[in-house]
Amino acid sequence: MRNEFGEYVRQARERLRKRDAGFSVRKLAERVGLEPSYLSKIERGLQAPPSAEKIALLAEKLGDDPDVLLALAGKVSDDLLEVIRKRPALFGRIIRELRDLPDHAVLRVVREVRDGEW
Amino acid sequence: MIELAGDTLVFSFPEVFPGARLSISFQRTLRIPDDGKAHPLPAGLGDLPLRHVDDFGSSVPAGWKQRGGVMMPMYQSEATWISFRSYGVPHRESPYPFAVKIGTGRIDAITGKRWRDGLLKTRQDYLIVPEQPWLDGYVVDKGLIRQFVAMPLGAGYTAEEQITGKAGYGGLQICVIPMKPDLFEKLFPLRSEEYLRTMMPARYTDDEGNVVWSVGFVSMGLAPGGLMEQEIYLDEFGRDAWETSVSSRCFVHIANSLVWRAVTGEAPPQPPLTSKEYRQAGVPWFKYYHEGLEAVEGSKELAELKSVIRMGREKGDVPVPENETSDPVRVIELGPKGRSRVSEW
Repeated sequence: MRNEFGEYVRQARERLRKRDAGFSVRKLAERVGLEPSYLSKIERGLQAPPSAEKIALLAEKLGDDPDVLLALAGKVSDDLLEVIRKRPALFGRIIRELRDLPDHAVLRVVREVRDGEW
Repeated sequence: MIELAGDTLVFSFPEVFPGARLSISFQRTLRIPDDGKAHPLPAGLGDLPLRHVDDFGSSVPAGWKQRGGVMMPMYQSEATWISFRSYGVPHRESPYPFAVKIGTGRIDAITGKRWRDGLLKTRQDYLIVPEQPWLDGYVVDKGLIRQFVAMPLGAGYTAEEQITGKAGYGGLQICVIPMKPDLFEKLFPLRSEEYLRTMMPARYTDDEGNVVWSVGFVSMGLAPGGLMEQEIYLDEFGRDAWETSVSSRCFVHIANSLVWRAVTGEAPPQPPLTSKEYRQAGVPWFKYYHEGLEAVEGSKELAELKSVIRMGREKGDVPVPENETSDPVRVIELGPKGRSRVSEW
């Protein structure tokens, strides 16, 4: 398996470390409650990504979007899963339909307030 | 197109003009004393929550589903004012102008006439934004309004019931009509950033299973409360300025706090302040002036409506807790440049 998640985290952390020594492997691991050696192995692809909860915490510390990190780890956040689980056929279809749309077009997909008869 | 952004209704007309957007929210506020005196405008105490009616499927009354739109919670005798904001259009001297019609129970709040879509030819039955930042009640005379106060539909107090004799609709109705794009182009041509910075920006602001309810009154409507000083500005652009082919409308249902809790599972906001609490908290009052703009005349039909207190006395009812008479202590005067009437008071 390609080490997309670990590589992404390492690069983000290294970028921040240039300005802030608090982003060494040891310090960051402490802040998110992981063993430094475990985080180091994750970065090098020797360990699978941590739990969704830890990933969200990592995203927060790195100032990144949790959905992006979760996706790199092959996971989907619980609230999104819940949305899909409630109406799986509908959301499956919506997501596939939107797959190839450019971002600006996706952003225009909004919910309208429905007007009825009165 | 209408979206719900948090507790704000956002009307946008990208097909008319890029950036033509208007937002409308409903402010919680003090019910002013109905003592015959004309009061200044009370402050906004935060937005009333708004939710899509469609989100609550069969737990809302069938009539609400049929009419669509959104719903908001109000306590009996709670007052509200409506806040309008037109967004700035880049490189233009004015935010995009809109004509806005407001009805309560399908009675026009400016003319007292029955609701119809579109703009009346004979008299102005709409207000214009950005000139008009707020609407607090029924236009009973030139520069004088009677506050919007929520009352159960069916009890006879609402403007709708007093005028039509029926408790048919309740709630609030909104219709938004943008200015014609070619007129906007002509009146507010493209300007450089520099020009806009140096010009005094007088007009510029930045950016089927129906449920039967056991509680007596499900829907609420709005009824006339105390008197306030507020001018509804005459349309200086003229009736032909508005692109009536593309109006966008929305029904806002009003649920009492019990119904709101039962339908949404959410707690309604705290009960509104009394005038005593309002005074003790040092919350200011407001007056709004827009120099050079004329005000519309009041509506005879609306002026003849009985206020909630007066009707209660005639019925031998106590429809609202008495709100003691008080003289406003701090009155803040606002004009087009300083518009905030809402804060964490």
